[in-house]
Amino acid sequence: MELKKVGAAGTYESSDIYVTLFPNEGNGIEILLKSSVEKQFGTQIRKVIRETLEKLGVKDAKVQAEDTGALDCIIRARVETAAHRAAEITENFNWEELDKWTN
Amino acid sequence: MDFAHFEEIIIDTSDKSEIKEVVKFLDSQNLLLDKNVDKTVIFKDGKNIAATGSICGKSLRSIAVSPFYQGGGVINRLITKLIEIEYQNDNHHIFIFTKPQAKESFSYFGFNEIASSESAVLMEKGLPDISDYQKNLKKSFVDGKVISSIVMNCNPFTLGHLYLIEKTSKESDIVHIFIVEEDKSTFPSDIRLHLVKEGTKHLKNVYIHKGGDYIISSATFPSYFIKDADALVASHALIDIDLFGKYIAPSLKITKRYAGNEPYCKVTSIYNDVMERILPEHGIEFIKVDRKEIKGDIISASKVRALIKEGKINEAEKYLPESTWTFLNSNEAKAIIEKIKETISRH
Repeated sequence: MELKKVGAAGTYESSDIYVTLFPNEGNGIEILLKSSVEKQFGTQIRKVIRETLEKLGVKDAKVQAEDTGALDCIIRARVETAAHRAAEITENFNWEELDKWTN
Repeated sequence: MDFAHFEEIIIDTSDKSEIKEVVKFLDSQNLLLDKNVDKTVIFKDGKNIAATGSICGKSLRSIAVSPFYQGGGVINRLITKLIEIEYQNDNHHIFIFTKPQAKESFSYFGFNEIASSESAVLMEKGLPDISDYQKNLKKSFVDGKVISSIVMNCNPFTLGHLYLIEKTSKESDIVHIFIVEEDKSTFPSDIRLHLVKEGTKHLKNVYIHKGGDYIISSATFPSYFIKDADALVASHALIDIDLFGKYIAPSLKITKRYAGNEPYCKVTSIYNDVMERILPEHGIEFIKVDRKEIKGDIISASKVRALIKEGKINEAEKYLPESTWTFLNSNEAKAIIEKIKETISRH
């Protein structure tokens, strides 16, 4: 999946994460995270973001994420939505594949 | 605290009755509604405003939450809404001016501080950011012993501007000129830039740049484009000069900044005073040059615009270099001249 434009998903409300993905051609995945629970969960949040992108086949992305204590499943959902928006995929989602990860 | 029942209203400045309420609400918190806002978001709790915030181009402005709802997460919902509007407008690089004590809260929304004064902080979020800007600027680096700079609006380019550029060019090895890019001036920025380029072709050590978001833009220096209290102008000027000293000058190894003396415009005169005070702290010499005169008559772009406005365009010829005069007589200029005749603008 290739990011064609900026894509975002999420809110700043408690227990959510606001994810903005910028195209980053040829420069891999770079993550800039702000979190109210950075000390406890910063590493884990970054890991979930990176793994989700890798599963989607996103090779290059600049990620700006602001977290207010989101659970892993929320983080995954926000990253998936933002990536689809950035890749301009609005239909024919690969539900089967997406479903596999949550089980 | 539950605030799911809030009514969310998005208005523009044409909605006079709602705007009046917002102004009253902000006033109760000693805040002003910024004069140039595009859209205002209001959260209402029945009849009362619970929170409000506005957007103005790439900037978030006039944000406030009622004392009753402060600390309850309303701000998170408000910022979500404002960012969503910016994103919908394809603005993914967003600025906010705020008080130093609010800096930390905004950092959790992804904003990073880029410049500050005692009373204000300028923060940005998204991309391309200041480091992208610096990377790009560094490509224009040309080595020399004396590297100078001028920031100009050139609305339009006059013999006064040319005189200042020629003097700087003579006294420097390299000159970087930044043309204010904000399109709030009468002459569009690409035309202002083009006229300066054309008119300075004979000067081989002069490099012309677009000012971008970080030099006197409505994000870094909102009061340059609107009439505001002197204290606010000085505060914005401090931020603008802080950015110049911290990021722009070092990228090009600029050690001098030239400016024309300002006898007419209060805002520019305050800006000059701030430069005189702050630039030396960044190791930059500030050189104020007296305006070019023709027989005791000071040349200024505002005079040129005034003559155009009065329909006396021929009397402006003596203030203008060939590039500008040729442009004013072209078909392309007709719409601009009409606009000048209809409006009054400060810059």
